[in-house]
Amino acid sequence: MNTRNLMHRLAVIGFAVATGCLSVPASAAPQDAVGPKTIRVLSAAAIDAASPQAAIWQKAPATEVPLQTAFPGYVSIVGTADTKEVTAQAVRADGRLYVRLSWTDPTANTAIKDTNQFVDGVAVQFPMNGKVSTTPFMGDSKNPVNVWHWTANGHVENLFAKGFGTLTAAPIAGLHGTAVRTENGWEVVFSRSLLAKPGLGVSLQGRRAIPIAFAVWDGNNQERDGLKAVTLQWWQLSF
Amino acid sequence: MRQLAYVFDLNKCIGCHTCTMACKHMWTNRDGREYMYWNNVETRPGTGYPKNWEKKGGGFDKDGRLKTDGIIPIRADYGQTWSYNFEETLLEGKANQVVPNEKPAWGPNWDEDQGTGEYPNNHYFYLPRICNHCSNPACLAACPRKAIYKRPDGLVVIDQERCRGYRYCVKACPYGKVYFNLQKGRSEKCIGCYPRVEKGEPPACVKQCSGRIRFWGYRDDQDGPVYKLVEKWKVAIPLHPEFGTQPNVFYVPPMNTTPPPFEEDGRLSDKPRIPLADLEALFGPDVKRVLETLGREMQKRRQAQPSELTDILIGYTNKDRYRI
Repeated sequence: MNTRNLMHRLAVIGFAVATGCLSVPASAAPQDAVGPKTIRVLSAAAIDAASPQAAIWQKAPATEVPLQTAFPGYVSIVGTADTKEVTAQAVRADGRLYVRLSWTDPTANTAIKDTNQFVDGVAVQFPMNGKVSTTPFMGDSKNPVNVWHWTANGHVENLFAKGFGTLTAAPIAGLHGTAVRTENGWEVVFSRSLLAKPGLGVSLQGRRAIPIAFAVWDGNNQERDGLKAVTLQWWQLSF
Repeated sequence: MRQLAYVFDLNKCIGCHTCTMACKHMWTNRDGREYMYWNNVETRPGTGYPKNWEKKGGGFDKDGRLKTDGIIPIRADYGQTWSYNFEETLLEGKANQVVPNEKPAWGPNWDEDQGTGEYPNNHYFYLPRICNHCSNPACLAACPRKAIYKRPDGLVVIDQERCRGYRYCVKACPYGKVYFNLQKGRSEKCIGCYPRVEKGEPPACVKQCSGRIRFWGYRDDQDGPVYKLVEKWKVAIPLHPEFGTQPNVFYVPPMNTTPPPFEEDGRLSDKPRIPLADLEALFGPDVKRVLETLGREMQKRRQAQPSELTDILIGYTNKDRYRI
């Protein structure tokens, strides 16, 4: 099977699963691999959720999201990603969306001090058109995706992609990332205004749900680019 | 697309490193490139630069598939970039001896002139190396972002705007000639001095070569020295052709019989000083034929007969050695 065919089949599977979950109620319970893939957004007001250790995160539903090694979209990308799971939470407050991600990673790779080193990272991805028909594998030429990318050297990037190898940095557009290194892993909160200037990010204002995908990189395993642990289908962020 | 190419005559290289210094001063003495030698000269036999690069993996397999077994050399494999207390000693009078500011433990030419064998039958030769600006570049094939491309003149360059520092190219180049800039977070390499080339000037390493070992020009220029040495006389061959990248730097291998080694009784031996197998390990099975051709043409000159090949290799003037 060539790459294009496999991608198409995986995209169809993702579409079918994600479409299915639109018809069921949002759930905060842990999800299994075949169940509804929904992350419920807790609505709050006058709170600060920017810190991963803010009190609000004790109340926001936590969803265990299983991860798999990403489909190797390019011949040079080989290896198996280390991270098996990320815990996702989301809060909407005062016109902003906060997405908190935490995962186990025993080694903190926070700087590139040698030529063979890479840093830890995490990203969320949204289809710009808000539709699950967009391929979750970096979108395609007609259906771009917006990626919020945090790396453990403290950088946050607002990125767009129109397929493999097309990732392009855009102005940060009010995107924030805050991280805490725990004893055995990372806790990261992305936040951004629900409103986005045209062309500078996915619009989240007025939506009841938006497809979302996740990726985690373990720098200790030389993970970067397409060598990463990901969700192979869209999940739904349900407001 | 045309292809710029180089021929390095190893019989003329005196290991002076003027090429290396020309490149260093032009491109790599600043901004996170200090450890990089886009042009280096290493002693053979030896460990090379970066250390043991021949074993780093990369390139293509026999079926033309990109190999993914390559490693990214660690910083230490390229050697330290120590400096000296010149100011303190020479200007301020605070020290009485010029010494390195750190204890040197490895450098790009740590084993220079070491070679192998016992005197008087020891041997070594110099191997100048740059990016091969390959016709089938593994670095280009490995880059998922297509940040690496061949210019219309065949030079292989990295678009610094597209590069995100993933280093698949560093892994894939079997010659260890792509480097990661820790300061910039991008991969970098020899650019063939394209700003000079665009003005009609040869690369700095070519023009500064005091041994006049370097020939340069388009491969398809039938009146140029590269075509004559590679295609007509077939005495210039690529380094490690088995890597599958189709290099455009070609080498005239060192004559392995001159000077001949000594027998135990002091007579000159008819055996080669450099084992043919050692040269074949570097340049492939064509070495034997090349050395026979070189030997035959050199013999003509010893007998006062003309030889076009030796005239080309002498390269009397700049115009004889490089042209575009």
